[in-house]
Amino acid sequence: MVGPSLHFSHVNLQLGAQDILSDVSLTLAGGQVHAIVGPNGGGKTSLVRALLGQMPFRGEISIDGVQKPRIGYAPQSLDLDRTLPFTVLDVLAVMQQRRPAFLGRSPVNRQAQDDMLERVGLAHQAKRLFGYLSGGERQRLLFAQALLPRPDLLIMDEPTSNMDLAGSQLVESMVAELAAQGVTILWVNHDWEQVSRVAQTASVINRRVQAHGPAKDIMRMLMQPEPA
Amino acid sequence: MSDVYALLRSALEGLATLGLLPQAMFFQFVSNAVIAALLIGPLLGILGTMVVVKRMAFFSQAIGNAALTGVSIGVLLGESNSSPYVSTFAFCVIFGLILRYTQQRTSLSNDVLIGVFLSISLAIGASLLLFVSARTNTHVLENVMFGSILTVSVTDLNILVVVTLVCLALIGFLYNQMLLASLSPSLAQARGLDVRLIEYVFVLVITLVTVACVKIVGAVLVEALLVIPAAASRNISSSLRGFVVYSVIIATVSCLLGIIVPMQSNLPVPSGGAIILTAAFVFMLTALVRNLVPRFRVAS
Repeated sequence: MVGPSLHFSHVNLQLGAQDILSDVSLTLAGGQVHAIVGPNGGGKTSLVRALLGQMPFRGEISIDGVQKPRIGYAPQSLDLDRTLPFTVLDVLAVMQQRRPAFLGRSPVNRQAQDDMLERVGLAHQAKRLFGYLSGGERQRLLFAQALLPRPDLLIMDEPTSNMDLAGSQLVESMVAELAAQGVTILWVNHDWEQVSRVAQTASVINRRVQAHGPAKDIMRMLMQPEPA
Repeated sequence: MSDVYALLRSALEGLATLGLLPQAMFFQFVSNAVIAALLIGPLLGILGTMVVVKRMAFFSQAIGNAALTGVSIGVLLGESNSSPYVSTFAFCVIFGLILRYTQQRTSLSNDVLIGVFLSISLAIGASLLLFVSARTNTHVLENVMFGSILTVSVTDLNILVVVTLVCLALIGFLYNQMLLASLSPSLAQARGLDVRLIEYVFVLVITLVTVACVKIVGAVLVEALLVIPAAASRNISSSLRGFVVYSVIIATVSCLLGIIVPMQSNLPVPSGGAIILTAAFVFMLTALVRNLVPRFRVAS
């Protein structure tokens, strides 16, 4: 089944007197990988947070094509006190089940969680404290939780910014697999070469939509040297 | 409920007859206090882990101080001097909800905003005290501030039972969601949670528990019993399960020892103070264990 399509219509977002996003209109087809690129402070994360209902905005954002789509979200980081005794499995349990995580993992989720940890290379870290993981390992875990259960729409906000090359390639290959299964993917990404390889469409956001189109064309345009 | 209390009292008296508990268990006010301790220990132990994770210790302090104002209002409105629950619950719930509502609509940091609200509440309470002291014995207010096992009545126990059941049900149903909503509201929202509603429920739970525990622990000290057992548990835990289990044990044992030890030793210490001092002693022990035992050092 093809994932939902996304429609941003005249989205305006302000923080105090400052415009963060101004008249952003985009239509992103279902079942494709869409990359959002742009400079720091250009409003990419704000766009994601508006989509998730975490920031008030004017305009309209709609998710169409799938009734009650499952949304997976891989944030860049998690604001968890490093000294708290949360293991990797505890973090997954908190995110995925209704039964209080301190009572243990829900049996229905165990196999999928174990398989996913194996897939992202964290199986041997399952009982390690979250605060003891490296930045890249934490991002692997945040990516893993976004795929549990398998989403219809996957939103990723620079999920590989602290990963090593192997981690980044792993995410890339898993994203390609999900896209082949029809999952719609919105990926905020600074790695233009990765965007060229994986995404079908790309949007350059710097408060406004500065460019939108096939990812390869947009990246070629961005990588062109400025005329002297 | 009175049959259940009678059963528990006779069990405590039986243990006292066998020499396993102090003879003081034959006094009803002592057995009432022990029953209350067995209720609030686990409740505060579990809730404390959430308060620590959500960094809301200062918030529960503000609610505790608001309880003092709530009691003053209750006395002035003619409620029973020993149990002005309607005014206390009403004032604290309104106070907590307004505070949370304001938090969601301001760019001020949490500690600054809570500090402002805490000051407002204390100012109202201090202003009302003048009128309250003309109407009632000031010991009533002292008991509210620092707790007193002498004043735990069957009504207090009934209220504590209802609050415990309601809050444990809410915590059981929403524990993970409450944690997730504070760790990452965006992630919680993506998973279909109503973050705002969950935060309001958490505020309600903290408020109900604080007010229900005022009689035993005292308005000023409830926050300490929410934070210290969880902080002590954090010192020696290497998983979420250990964090909660140790916190419950430490809170419950602190409550029991804080009630029994001063009585047995004829120490004129309020129950709230004794409970907190016991918890603080356990905290120091766990801090020591963490620093001396390599296994626990790894866990911290």
